[in-house]
Amino acid sequence: MLQIKSLEVAYGGLKALDGISLEVGDGQFVAVVGPNGAGKTTLFRSISGVVRPVGGEIIYDGQDLSALPPHARPHLGIAHVPEGRQVFPSLSVRENLEMGAFTEAAQARWRETLTTILELFPVLGERENQLAGTLSGGEQQMLAIGRGLASAPRLLMLDEPSMGLAPTVADLIFERIEQIHRDHGVTILLVEQRVAEALESCDLGYVLETGRVVLSGTHDALMADQRVKRAYLGL
Amino acid sequence: MSDLEFFLIDFVQVLATGLLVGGTYALMCVGLGMIFGVMRVINFAQGDFLMLGMYAAFYLMTGWGVLAFLGPYVGPVVAGIFAGPVVFVIGWLLHRYLVRRVTGMAALGAEAEGHYAQIILTLGIALVLQNGGLILFGSIPLAVRTPMSGQSWEVWEVLLNQARTVNFFVAIAVAGVLYLFLSRTRLGKSMRAAADNPEAALYMGIDVEKCHRIAFALGCGITAIAGGLIASSQSFQPYIGFQFVIVMYAGVVLGGLGSILGAFWGGMTIGMVQQLSTLFLPFQLQNTAVFVVFLLIIFLRPQGLFGRVTDRT
Amino acid sequence: MLARRSIKRELLAIAVMAAVYLLLLYAIRSTYYQQILTLVMVWATMSLAWNMLSGYGGQISFGHASFFGLGAYTVVLLNVDWGLTPWFGIPIGVVVGVIAAVIIGIPTFRLRGHYFALSMLAYPLAMLYVFEWLGYQEVPLPMERENPALYMQFSDKRIYGILALGLTVVAMLASLKVERSRFGLSLLAIKQNEAAAEAAGIPTWRWKMLAIMQSGGFAAAAGGLYAVILLVVTPATVFDVLVSAQALIFCLFGGVGTLWGPLIGAAILLPLAEILHGELGHIIPGIQGVVYGSAIIIIILAAPEGIFWRVRDRFFAKPGAAPAVAEPPPAAVVSAGEASAALPARQPRPGGRPLLVLENVSRAFGGLRAVDEVSLTVAEGTIHGIIGPNGAGKTTLFNVINGFLAPNGGRIEFEGRSLLGLKPNRICRAGIGRTFQIVRAFPRMTVLQNVIVGAFVAAAADGEAERLALEAIDRVGLGRQEAQQIASGLTMRQLRLLELARALASRPKLLLLDETLAGLGHAELEDVLTAIREIGDGGTTVLIIEHTMHAMVRIADRFSVLDHGRLIADGVPEGVVRDRAVIEAYLGKRWMDRVADQIS
Repeated sequence: MLQIKSLEVAYGGLKALDGISLEVGDGQFVAVVGPNGAGKTTLFRSISGVVRPVGGEIIYDGQDLSALPPHARPHLGIAHVPEGRQVFPSLSVRENLEMGAFTEAAQARWRETLTTILELFPVLGERENQLAGTLSGGEQQMLAIGRGLASAPRLLMLDEPSMGLAPTVADLIFERIEQIHRDHGVTILLVEQRVAEALESCDLGYVLETGRVVLSGTHDALMADQRVKRAYLGL
Repeated sequence: MSDLEFFLIDFVQVLATGLLVGGTYALMCVGLGMIFGVMRVINFAQGDFLMLGMYAAFYLMTGWGVLAFLGPYVGPVVAGIFAGPVVFVIGWLLHRYLVRRVTGMAALGAEAEGHYAQIILTLGIALVLQNGGLILFGSIPLAVRTPMSGQSWEVWEVLLNQARTVNFFVAIAVAGVLYLFLSRTRLGKSMRAAADNPEAALYMGIDVEKCHRIAFALGCGITAIAGGLIASSQSFQPYIGFQFVIVMYAGVVLGGLGSILGAFWGGMTIGMVQQLSTLFLPFQLQNTAVFVVFLLIIFLRPQGLFGRVTDRT
Repeated sequence: MLARRSIKRELLAIAVMAAVYLLLLYAIRSTYYQQILTLVMVWATMSLAWNMLSGYGGQISFGHASFFGLGAYTVVLLNVDWGLTPWFGIPIGVVVGVIAAVIIGIPTFRLRGHYFALSMLAYPLAMLYVFEWLGYQEVPLPMERENPALYMQFSDKRIYGILALGLTVVAMLASLKVERSRFGLSLLAIKQNEAAAEAAGIPTWRWKMLAIMQSGGFAAAAGGLYAVILLVVTPATVFDVLVSAQALIFCLFGGVGTLWGPLIGAAILLPLAEILHGELGHIIPGIQGVVYGSAIIIIILAAPEGIFWRVRDRFFAKPGAAPAVAEPPPAAVVSAGEASAALPARQPRPGGRPLLVLENVSRAFGGLRAVDEVSLTVAEGTIHGIIGPNGAGKTTLFNVINGFLAPNGGRIEFEGRSLLGLKPNRICRAGIGRTFQIVRAFPRMTVLQNVIVGAFVAAAADGEAERLALEAIDRVGLGRQEAQQIASGLTMRQLRLLELARALASRPKLLLLDETLAGLGHAELEDVLTAIREIGDGGTTVLIIEHTMHAMVRIADRFSVLDHGRLIADGVPEGVVRDRAVIEAYLGKRWMDRVADQIS
């Protein structure tokens, strides 16, 4: 579904991504892990078109995305749940979700999608008319994911959904993400800092460091690999 | 009647006038608030869009007499409203060709002076509009003639100028329509979303630049309607815009930069402050009173009544 | 400091300009054109004045008409009401301008961005209304028949040209002095990144006040001279927004933040507008405004840096000819590039007395407790690490220690003295240096200039600051050639080392390093790690935030671990790394469950 080939992104003179290649197949759950500054968020921003690459290609469903402006890409079925939630604080929960369903395709399936979202995250139904800026961190994360789902996406990209959340809340979020993948067949591309959670449910994993893929493999291979642990704990 | 009673009547009179004036001020502030709220741009030229609105109303009603067939009572009001779409188009074009180049994504790459590029550009536009206006329209003060501008309704010893009263209700109505647009329609909501978080809005598939263009054009158009309405209660010349810029900013800042509802109430309040100040100060200083209030708000409570505090280190 | 050409050449250029001007002045017969020439110089002074605050300092003012108008009215009113000659009136006007600058500066500098711009706009407009109301709609200067020269009234209008030239030359000399001193470099630092300047020890408020005072004084002088030339003052001509706008436009056109820009702008645009107004003014009134407005629009879209830079870069671009910088003696060079790939394990030092003590420090944002009752002690001479996952509150903690944020509770003591309530530049002076998570270099200065800014705190003389800066640059392992590069073109490694050097240049006792290793590749990591280690070995205490452990275990003597704002572990690296709570925070509970046996 998604193919990234030798992607290079630079901010001024700084190479944020230095020849990244990765693949996400239909229906897969792919995880990308790595320390701060590794380029994970830059990767997402390139896929969404907010940042222009200086080299390499991004191919989605056989189509090269480089010609498409950022606001056109969600219409292809790519949903991006950004780092730090980024809800629309002065809009209500309901309106945030409506914004998620901005594309024509999403509007057609709105009723159905909304039911799904409220099933997954009932608290959003309870707080339907509340301003999104007043929700707790965990609730905002749920809203952000719900908003991503509202576009009835084929590819759901999640950027560090657990950041800044209490462990129990983070666990709940991961459970729901797994559920979305399992029950609704949405292809997932997840960036996470918490290695175990990310690698736990993934089919494929990639480890990024300073703009390069240093390790990749299937779920089992990575879980057993001592290098991952060492990278994070220096043991 | 005692002195106190005289004073009370004066007070209520001034309050009433302030309310009526405040209505149109509220509308012009809403226009500015839209531009600032959605695009975060300080538009120095806002007063000149007000001025363009006045002239548009004038030409529609009196100058070219396009709407003269509606008669002297309804005509000026309709002309005032139609000034909106005329200036909307001007605003649209200005954004498309000039403003867009220094705002939004384009501004991200700019250097230190880049933040100020927006403000300076609008200053340039203001100068061109004011002086262009002088060239096109001449310097003789004009006004839209209507019998209502000189007559008042009397309600319990208080005089309500007819033109101003009608303007008040029209202004509220227009503001109401805008409110409905922003809160009920998909386009309106997407504009609010783009204002809240432009990057996230892109992720939703919202064309943020188009939202900015609409916001800018709408902001200009709405302020122009306010101008078109005022055109029937006072005379104007091409340089009148700048007098109103600080008044508008006072209103928007009082209400809270970023909040359109706040801009509405802020404008209303500034109108009242301006009129109330005539109780204590000579009328030439009424705008100075507004400035003082403006400076006080900036220093004491910069986020205004409804505003959002952003900005971190 | 901002030297491009030597002072001698600049002075020569000024002298030549003055000579050319005088030549023109005396060659031209028509009094109309003489007046235009005179006005060019008056407006050049006004623009130079604006440049002092807004060009060099980056505090864009839309209200300089305040000072201009006050200067004009001071001169006129003193003459009319008190019979005081403008020869005294103008200097008094300057004083008035300076006082007004102080009065305006104190409250207005507390405002940021938009609010600052709007307030500055409001002041002259308010003054306009006040003066109109006071009855000063039109105040002419009385004709002095007896001793006109004593009252600055000359029948030969060219004398005004000479006076205006004199004022401009003084303004240019003042600008030159600013440019070549630490004042100028500090202002530039403030303009490019105020927070970084504060953290580097620059007293930002003081320099900004000085800039506005100087700016206000010269603007008032320009206004006073203007009044004398025009012989009549009205509120609109001196307080109008066009007055402020003209100063801005001329600088913008000619080149903001340069010595010659204001003069170039005034010399080209003013005659253009005046002549257009003169020729076409009666057919097309307002032509001046249209010209100025269009000029602004074109400049800001096409060449925001101004004509000066465009021309210079196009025609005079020389490859950065670096002034000869002597290579340091070999012994002092730290060739970090040759450092062995694997550093030998560092002997952890026990450390001396407590240098920095935090006790129950808390900081919340709304409901979010970013830092929650954190207590820790940093011993002198150690490298102390602070680690924790993203969002743990590490940078917030630094911002609190450093003075950018006030804590909601707790004590912070450095060398026994409390740091609470002190501004960041004072804390830097006390001996604490800081680098930032996202590098805050001054993008348009060279590496050397960046580091010199940091050295001002420790050096009384500018020459010494340069010496200290070079020393710091050597210490971190940057080359002398690298030091001449402009910061915006550097690699991550160079940027990190730059920030390190800048913080070091202030001779701190304690260095706060915020994720200095982020974004570095393996080889680069080694360079920076080595530099940090050498700094620690040299006796400086280091408190370093890092996100990944594998680098930290090699240099830290001690760790404190934060998670969700709370301290969850504190001790020697070996122990902390095996602590269950720590592993859980980083890798998650599931990992713990899965590999629990491997840990024990």
